[in-house]
Amino acid sequence: MEAKFIGQSLPRYDIASKVQGQRKYPQDFNMEGQLHAQVVWSAYPHARVLKIDARQAEALPGVVKVITWRDVPVNEYGINIMDQPVLVGEGAKVRWVGDRIAIIVAESEKIARQARDLVRVEYEPLSVVMDPRQAMKPGAPLVHEERDSNILKHIPIRRGDIEEGFAQADVIVEGYYVTDAVEHAYMQPEAALGYIDEQGRVTVIAAAQWPHDDLHQIAHMLSLPEDQVREIVPAIGGAFGGREDMYIQHLAALAAFCTRRPVKMVWSRTESVQRSGKRHPFYMRHKTGATREGKLTAVEIEIISDAGAYASTSIPILSNAASFSAGPYVVPNARVDAYTVYTNNAVTMAMRGFGATQPPIAYELQMDKLAGKLGMDPVEIRMKNLFEEGSIAITGNRMSHGVGIKETLRQAALAAEWREENGHWRKPALPPAEAPHLRRGIGVACAYKNVCYSMGFDDTSTAEVTLNLDRSGEIVRALVKIGASEVGQGVWTALAQIAAEALRVDIRKVNLALVDTAQVPSAGSSSASRHVYMSGNAVLRACQRALAKRERVLHEETGESKVTVTYTYHGREARATTPLDPETGQCEPHISYSYGTQIALVEVDTETGEVQVLKLWAANDMGRAINPQMIYGQVAGGVHMGVGYALTEHFIQKEGRALTKSFSEYYIPTVRDMPREFVNILVEVPDPSGPFGAKGLGETPTLSTAPAILNAIHDATGVWLDGVPATPERVFMACRKSL
Amino acid sequence: MLAERRGRARIIAGGTDLVLQSQQGKIQATTLVDITRIPGLDFIEEREGYIYLGAQVTHAQIAASPLIRAKGDVLAMACGSVGGPQIRNMGTLVGNVVNALPAADGAVALFALDAETEVASLSARRWLPIAEVYQNVGVCVVDPSAEMITALRFPALQPRHKGAFQRLAPRRSLALPILNTAVVVGVQEGRFTEARIAIGPVAPTPFRAKEAEDVLIGQCVGGAVIKRAAELAAAAAQPRDSVLRGSKEYRKALVEVLVRRALAEAAGLWPRTSGGK
Amino acid sequence: MPELRMRVNGKEVTVEVEPDDLLAYVLRDKLELIGTKIGCGEGECGACTVLVDGQSVTSCIYPALKAQGRDVTTIEGLRRNEELHVIQQAFIDCAASQCGYCTPGMIMSAKALLDANPNPSREEIEAGISGNLCRCTGYYQIVEAIHLAAQRLAERGEEGSHGS
Repeated sequence: MEAKFIGQSLPRYDIASKVQGQRKYPQDFNMEGQLHAQVVWSAYPHARVLKIDARQAEALPGVVKVITWRDVPVNEYGINIMDQPVLVGEGAKVRWVGDRIAIIVAESEKIARQARDLVRVEYEPLSVVMDPRQAMKPGAPLVHEERDSNILKHIPIRRGDIEEGFAQADVIVEGYYVTDAVEHAYMQPEAALGYIDEQGRVTVIAAAQWPHDDLHQIAHMLSLPEDQVREIVPAIGGAFGGREDMYIQHLAALAAFCTRRPVKMVWSRTESVQRSGKRHPFYMRHKTGATREGKLTAVEIEIISDAGAYASTSIPILSNAASFSAGPYVVPNARVDAYTVYTNNAVTMAMRGFGATQPPIAYELQMDKLAGKLGMDPVEIRMKNLFEEGSIAITGNRMSHGVGIKETLRQAALAAEWREENGHWRKPALPPAEAPHLRRGIGVACAYKNVCYSMGFDDTSTAEVTLNLDRSGEIVRALVKIGASEVGQGVWTALAQIAAEALRVDIRKVNLALVDTAQVPSAGSSSASRHVYMSGNAVLRACQRALAKRERVLHEETGESKVTVTYTYHGREARATTPLDPETGQCEPHISYSYGTQIALVEVDTETGEVQVLKLWAANDMGRAINPQMIYGQVAGGVHMGVGYALTEHFIQKEGRALTKSFSEYYIPTVRDMPREFVNILVEVPDPSGPFGAKGLGETPTLSTAPAILNAIHDATGVWLDGVPATPERVFMACRKSL
Repeated sequence: MLAERRGRARIIAGGTDLVLQSQQGKIQATTLVDITRIPGLDFIEEREGYIYLGAQVTHAQIAASPLIRAKGDVLAMACGSVGGPQIRNMGTLVGNVVNALPAADGAVALFALDAETEVASLSARRWLPIAEVYQNVGVCVVDPSAEMITALRFPALQPRHKGAFQRLAPRRSLALPILNTAVVVGVQEGRFTEARIAIGPVAPTPFRAKEAEDVLIGQCVGGAVIKRAAELAAAAAQPRDSVLRGSKEYRKALVEVLVRRALAEAAGLWPRTSGGK
Repeated sequence: MPELRMRVNGKEVTVEVEPDDLLAYVLRDKLELIGTKIGCGEGECGACTVLVDGQSVTSCIYPALKAQGRDVTTIEGLRRNEELHVIQQAFIDCAASQCGYCTPGMIMSAKALLDANPNPSREEIEAGISGNLCRCTGYYQIVEAIHLAAQRLAERGEEGSHGS
C-alpha cells in the first residue's frame, strides 16, 4: 500500500506559530511575582576559592538571596559522571571560567547584575592546564586532584596485525590534524524559569534536549524524589548538542527551591559564548598504508581530545570517535589509541556529530593524500575501500541494515560530473577561474556516524498514544505523548507523519503533547540523530497496538470511546550493542548508521587566502525520507555548520580564558558565506529495523562538509590545510610557504 | 544642554556604538542628547564644489545617495559595506567618526576624500581636516561633553577622479574588516595627477600612505607603477599581531594586495568589485 | 520616568520608560509583544529586527525614546485579521523556519526589503537578509520563501487586491 504521509513534504507542525512570533521560548515566559537571577562566575580558570563574602551584595536593596554552595543540598551534577559542582564553595577549586560561585536572586535583572559585582571572592590562582597534550604527561598539574592523572579515559582499538599491515603497504601516508573548539551558537540564549508548582513540585521551564535526565540530576541535587521535580520544555531556539547537558535548569531549580518563588534567569550572549560548553578540540595523528591498487592495509591512529574542566560526555564521544577514526572503510589491520584529557579550558560536550565530526578531517585528507601518491582518482580510491553490506569495521562488527555509503558517493560524484567507466572514475575538468590569482578545485569527502546510543547503552523511547473515538469507532483525534524535545530538527512533524501513516488518519487529527515530564514518558535525548528511529519506532508500534486495541474494543462493543497504549521501544530489539573491549576495542558499537558524501567546488583567492564555495553537492542516506522538504533544510543547516567549521568559526582560548568574547567575534556563516549553489541528493537505503526504513539524519550532513572543502582547497592550490578552521590567513600562509 | 550637564551628558544619534559602550561600562553618561530630532542636520548636498553631509545622515542614506555615488562614490561603497542593513539604517557616519576607530569603513573613505568635519561648541564652529579629528584608537579630538560634529564635507569628485574601495573581513557580512582601503586617483591624459590612498586598520587611526601616493604622481597609469605604490604602502603600514585580525605579516601582505587591487580598479585595469564581496 | 508615545502595529501606545531602556525590551517586557526575540543584545544577529518608520533596525540596541512619535512594526503587526501576511505564508510553504528563533527578525527584514524593492534579484534578497543570522536552515529556503513572497505580492498587485 502506498504511503500517504511518509515521503510527503507536509508543513512543519509548529511553523505557523513560529512565523507569527507566537511560539514561546523560555525567555518569553513570565510569572506573577517572579524574581530574577544572575550568576556570579569564576574569575579564574583554575584557582582555589579561599573566601566568598556576599554581605555587600545581600545588603543591596532589592536583593532577595545570594545562593552559595552552603545552600545546595547535594552539590554535584553531570550527565555521564557527576564531577561538576553546582556552586564552588570556600576551600574548593574552580576549574574553568564557567564554574559558578553564587547565584544572585533579586527583584529585577538590573539589581541582580549590580549585586553580582558586589560579591567579593578571594582566590588562590593555580597553574592553568591549557593543552591536553601537555596535561596528559606525568607531573602535569591535576585538574581533578582525586585522580592520579588528567587522562579521563584511554580507548584502544586493536585489530589484525599492524606490523604486517604496514609491511603489505606499497604506500604509507602520515599526517597530523588539529581541529579547534567551536561554539554551538544556537540563536536562543540560555534562559529558564524555575518555580514551585501547584503540587509543590520544583518545576523548571527550559530548553532541554534530555528533560528526563535533567529531572534525575535536579532531584539528586535537591535530594528530592524524582516525582517532586518537573521540567517543561517549550520551544527551543536551536540546540545542536549544546542543550544535552544540563546547563541552567539546576540553577533555576535551586533558586526556586531556596526562595519558594518563581525565578527567571536569562544569560547574555557574551555569557553564552564564554561560559558554555564547546565541541572537543581533537589532535589526530594518522598513519595509513595502502597497496598500489589502492586497498587500505593498515591504519595507526592517535587521538587526543580536550575534555575541558569536566567530563560531560567526553567518554562516549571518545568511544564514538575511536570507532569512526578509520572512516567508513574496510581496514584489516588497525591500531587506535584515543585519549580524552582534562584541562582548564571550556568544558567540551556534545556538538553535532558527537565525535564523528573531527575524525573525517583526518581520515578523508589521508585518503586524498594516498590517492595523490598512487596517482588515483579520489572517488575511485574510496570506492575500493568503502563499507558494503557485510563489511567488517575496525571494531570487528559486521556493517549491515542498509549500508548506503557507496551509493551516496556514486550519486554525488555523478551529479558533480565525475565519469565512470568499468569501475574507473575520472574527475571532471573544471572551468578555469576568471583571474590568475584565483584557483578552482573540487574535493570529495565521505563520512558516517551512529544513529542512537552506543556501546551497550540501553537506548529506549516510550510513547503513549491515546485515540479518541466517535460513536462509529472512527478516530476523531490521536494524542501522542512522548518526551521528545523539538529543537528545530522537525521531530514532531516526523512523528506526526509516522502516527498519521500508522493510524491511517488525516494528519490534522494527530496532536503532540507538550513535553512536560509530569505528563509525558521519557523518549531519551534529542541527540545522536535518534528520534526518528527510536521515537518513530515507539510511536509506530504504540499506534499499531492502539489500532489493535481499538479493534478489540469495538468488537466487544464495550462502548469505550478512548483507547490508550504505552509502548517502550528498545534499540536492542534491532541490534544489541556491547561495550568496547578494554584492550582491543572490539564490540558491536552502534544500533544503526547514517551515511553521507559531500563534494565541494571551491575558488581560492591565493593572494588573500579567501575561500569561496561555489557549489556543494550533498548526498545523504537516511534510509527513508519522512519529509523531503524538512530533510533539505536539515542538510542545508548541516552544511552551514560545516562551512563555518571549515572556514570561519573559531573559539579561541588562551590560558583558559576566551579571547572570543561575543557574537561579534564568532563568525557563523551569513547568507553570503554559503555555497553559491547547493544540490541536495536523497539516497534511500532502508534500514529494515527503522520506522518505514528510516534511519536518522540530523548530524550526518555536517560531517563531510569541512573535509570536502579542505580537499578542494588542496585540489585548487596543491596546499594541504591539515585542520580547521582554514581561515584566510592560514590558507594564505600555506600558499605562500609552498611557493 | 551639554554645557549644563558638565561632562555627564553625551550626544547620541543612531546609538550603534554608544549603546554597546554604555552597556560595557565604558561611558558614564547620565544624559543622552538625541540629535536626530534637531531639524536641519540630515542634508546631503553640493555647495560650491563641496559635498556636505549633516550629522544625522546614516550609512544607508549615503550608500543610496545618487549625489554621493556620482561625486564621492568611494564613500558610498564604504558605507554600504558596514555591518548589515539594520546597522546601516541606524548608524550615522558622523557618529562613526566620533567613535574614532581605525577599522571604520566610512572613515577610511573620508581620509581618501580629504574630508573635513565641522565641530560646533557653544561659542564657535570650526572646520577641521579629518586627519586631525582622529587622535588615537577610540579617541576623537572632539570633547563629547561640550562639542559635536555637525557636518562633514569633502571636495566633490570630478570626472577625472576615480575611486575604489577594497575590504577583507572574516565573513561576507556583519563583520569588521581585517583590512580595508579607499583610494581616489586623478587621471588626465593617461597619467596619475592625484592620488590618495587610505588604509585601515593598520595603525591607531586610518592611515594615508603618502609615499605610495607620491610615487604615482606624474606616472603613466599601468600595472608596474601601481604595484610599486602598493609595495610602498605595505612597507609603511605597521600593524601589530592581533589574535582576532591576524598576524602582522599577513596584514602587511594584505595591504599590498588590497591597495594594488583598489588602484587597479580605480584606474580601470581591474573589474569593479568594490565594496567587498 | 519619561513617557514614550509611539504607534505600535498601527495602535497608539503610551508607556513609561527609563532613558536607557532599549526598544526590544520595552516591546517585550512592557508591551508583552514577545514575538521580537533577543539573540545577542549587541545588534549582531538581527533576531530583534523591527521596523521603525518602515526602516529595519536591530531593536536590542535601539534606545526606546528614539521611537518617540514614530511608527513601529513588529512581527505581531503583519497579520491582517485572520489572514497571515504573504511573507509568513511563504515561509510556511518553503519550510523556511526550523527552530524559529530567527524567524520574526528574518521576516521583518524581508518585509523591509520587499516594501522598498518589490522585485529583488537573488543577490538583493541576500543583501536584504545579510544582517540576520540563522543557525538552522542554511538560508536557502529562506531566500526561496522571500522570492516566492515577492512573486505572490506581484500577482496580488495585478489582481488589485488590498493585501500588503
